This record gives sequence, C-alpha cells and structure tokens, in this order.
Amino acid sequence: MIVLQVVLLIIKIVLLIAILMGGFAYTMLLERRLLGFFQLRLGPNRVGPGGLLQPVADGLKMVLKEDLMPAGADPFVYRLAPVIALFTALCVDAVIPFGAPIHVFGLTVNLDIANPSIGLLIAFAFSSLGVYGLVLGGWASQNKYSLLGGIRASAQIISYELAMGLSVMGVLMMTGTANLEGIVLYQKHHGWLFFPQIIAFIIYFITAVAETNRTPFDLPEAESELVAGYHTEYSGMRFASYYIAEYINMITVSGIAVTLFFGGWLGPWLPPIIWFFIKVAIFLFIFIWIRATLPRFRYDRLMNFGWKVLLPAALIYFLGTAAFVSGLI
Amino acid sequence: MIGFVILAIIALGGGIGVIVARQPVHSALFLIMNILALAIFYILLSAEFLAAAQVIVYAGAIMVLFLFVVTLLTAGKDDREPKENLAGQRLTAGILAVLVGGGLAVVGVLYPSRAIGLGLPHNFGNLRGMGVTLWGPDFIYLAAVALMLLTAAVGVLVLNRPRRQVKPAPRLEERES
Repeated sequence: MIVLQVVLLIIKIVLLIAILMGGFAYTMLLERRLLGFFQLRLGPNRVGPGGLLQPVADGLKMVLKEDLMPAGADPFVYRLAPVIALFTALCVDAVIPFGAPIHVFGLTVNLDIANPSIGLLIAFAFSSLGVYGLVLGGWASQNKYSLLGGIRASAQIISYELAMGLSVMGVLMMTGTANLEGIVLYQKHHGWLFFPQIIAFIIYFITAVAETNRTPFDLPEAESELVAGYHTEYSGMRFASYYIAEYINMITVSGIAVTLFFGGWLGPWLPPIIWFFIKVAIFLFIFIWIRATLPRFRYDRLMNFGWKVLLPAALIYFLGTAAFVSGLI
Repeated sequence: MIGFVILAIIALGGGIGVIVARQPVHSALFLIMNILALAIFYILLSAEFLAAAQVIVYAGAIMVLFLFVVTLLTAGKDDREPKENLAGQRLTAGILAVLVGGGLAVVGVLYPSRAIGLGLPHNFGNLRGMGVTLWGPDFIYLAAVALMLLTAAVGVLVLNRPRRQVKPAPRLEERES
C-alpha cells in the first residue's frame, strides 16, 4: 500500500511539472499573440498551424544556445541562482488543489501533491524564497546592471510581500483554516470570498503582479534602463530557467487567487479541474492585458504606493474583517 | 534518527560555513542553509507553523534584507583574508567555545531528564497551539514585545530625522505640474 502511494505521488509530481511546463509554453505563446493583437500586428504565426508549434522552436533554440558565464562571475552562485528561481516557483504549486478529490479503482486521489493543514503558509514560505534567485543572479553576474536589477528586486518584493500577506489574512479569519482545500470547501457553502473580501482581493492582485515582476512592476528587468536587469548575463537554458520561473509564478499566483477568492475548482456542469483551469486562464489573460496596457512605474512611486497606500489599506481592511468575524460590528 | 543526523550535519555545516566563508554573500547563503535545516527540524517535531514562520520571517524577509545590504556594499570588493587587529582572539574564542561545549555536555550527562526536554506540550508549534499560547496566558509578553519593537522603530525615525529645518526641495509631483 505504501509503495502504491509513493508511486502515485511520483506520478502526480511528474504530471504537475508537465502541466506547469506546458502551461508556461502556451501562456508565453498566448502572450506573444495577444500582445501582437493589442498592438495591431499578428504575432508569431509561422511555426505550425496558427503558431502552435512556436514553443517547441523556442525550446530547441534555447537548448542549442551557448551557455556563457562572465569572467568575473562567482561560478557556484551564478549557476545556483536560476535553479533557485525555478525550484521555488515549481514548489509553490504542490499545495494548490487543482480539483476535487477523484476516485479511481477504489482509491481516493487528491489533486494536489500535499494537503498540509497550513497549505497557504507553505505556499507563502516557498514563494518568499523565490527572490533569492533574482538577487543572487544579479550579484553573481558581476555586472552593474544585473546588480541594480537584483537590488531592485529584493527591495520591491520585500515591500509588497507585507501587503500581500495582510491581504489574505481576511480569508484565513473568515474560513478559520489555512488549509487550501478547506478554504475551497468553505466557499462551497458560503459563496465566493471575492464578494466579502473585494478590497483584499484587489490588494492581493496588485501585489501579485508586483511579486511576479510583471509590467507595470517590472523594474528589476526594466529593459530601457538596465538592459535586462538581473538576467542580463544569462544565456541558453539558464536564461530560460528565469523565464520559465516568471511564467510559472504567474500561473501560481493566479491559482492561489482562484483558490482563495473565486471558489477554486467549484462550478456547475463542467468537471472541477476544467473550472479551475478556466478561472486561471482568465487571470492569465488579465496579466497579459495589463502588460499591454500600462506603462512602467517610476521607482519612487512604486515605493510610495507599496508602503503608503497598499499596506495601510490592507491593514485597515484586515482590522475591519477581524472586527466583523469576532462580532464587534 | 537518520533524518536528525543528516539535518544536524547540514545545520552545523551551515553554521561553520558562515564563519569560514570569506565572501559575505557566501556567508549569507550558509546562514540560509542553516535556517532551512532548522525549519525542517521543526517539521520533524510536527511544529509546522513554526517551520513556515521560520522560512517566511527569517529566510524570506530578514536574510533578503541582509543580502540587499551585502550585495550593495561588497560588489567587486577584494575578498582576501583581512589583517587581524586583535592578536590571539581566535585562540581565546576557541578555548571559550570548548569550555562552554564541555560544560553543556557534562550537565547533559549528569542531569539527563532536565537537560533534554521530556516530550512536547500539546499542539506544540502548530497554528492552534501558537495562537492559544500567544493570545491566552502569554498575551502580556506578546504586548510587551510589540511595544518594545514599536519603540525601537519610532526611535530609529526620531534619531534619523534631519537636525535643522532645511527648506524642503519641491516634490517631484509639484515640479511636473
């Protein structure tokens, strides 16, 4: 029985990584095509029908590129940094439930790798480690643009992580559990948490864009000022690792937003897992839409916005939720 | 037991690495390794909340701040062995460390039941246990620590305020309009 469970676990891990890699490849293609349409051009449509094989071509190109390292770089840290970025991005997804438990051959299979009682905190713990990939990569490259990108990344992510943590506290207080499956099941009986927690959701979404370094918060890799920021010196698969990590982080924060505020896999008619993917896909579209629409923040405004607007707003809403849950108002 | 030994080696290796590494960023990485090993120790004690808090607070926030400062200050600096100013401090520190370690070992052997904790309290270190401890009987300590930290933060702001009233430069927003 234990052997069966271990085999099942390994299958689930491999499947999850495969789904995330596939998700990355086609999110990137979707982004390039959508950005094309937003800018009144077609985007990549030459490889395969409608450009559907473009990710394969991109992957092949990345594998065949020469792997360069700057002469002054710190070899160990330089190689370690992209691994940290990709590893932490993949780990967060292990606790997100992709669908209701399914029954196959008399076995109950949970559609997540692990279901710890503090799943949300585990997800936050892993995502808080992701910034090391950026900082260390920027430092190890021994390039001033990379270093500036890495330093910007650490300042930005620390600043926005606080507001992000506070914004999900309301969900924890209302559901009374930090287990992600428990949070979804609460919404089955009480409706989506998006409605009572709308301000918290808005704060969560803004900080999520900032945590994934997407436009308009892409200051760590601002190409007009810093060449490419922390990954300026990287090439080949190491560069691709950073790229994959960014897109998988995008999928992850969307998955957490769906789980916390939009009822996770819940929905009528369609199978649960399809609902989950539809909701995540809508979020990914919004991410791309924002990138095509908004210009980059200026650095002082980024800091002011994070510390003077988002953090107090999240704190006030958090206290309000606490008063509501405890019955004061 | 095997897990404990492996983790102990990793944690000790991290601790030694912090001191031995000459490059400050490497020291910080060893410290992170030590912190993560401690987090897994907490999980082995089924203190999952402590483990998550350890990673979020120490590895995810404090060490990132450390790295922020270290990368900012040491980029491109010379990382050779610095000249020692205090002669004999290594010897003194080594003797003191051996004495402390030996003392602890003697106490541990002589009074095994007191030196090594016997069992863990109910709900040790999980979400409910921590909440009950912090908001129940020990709330007064939590409030005291919070007050102290607040005082420290306010103190930093007060100490760093500009001495003389200089006419403030026009803010960027005003300049633009």
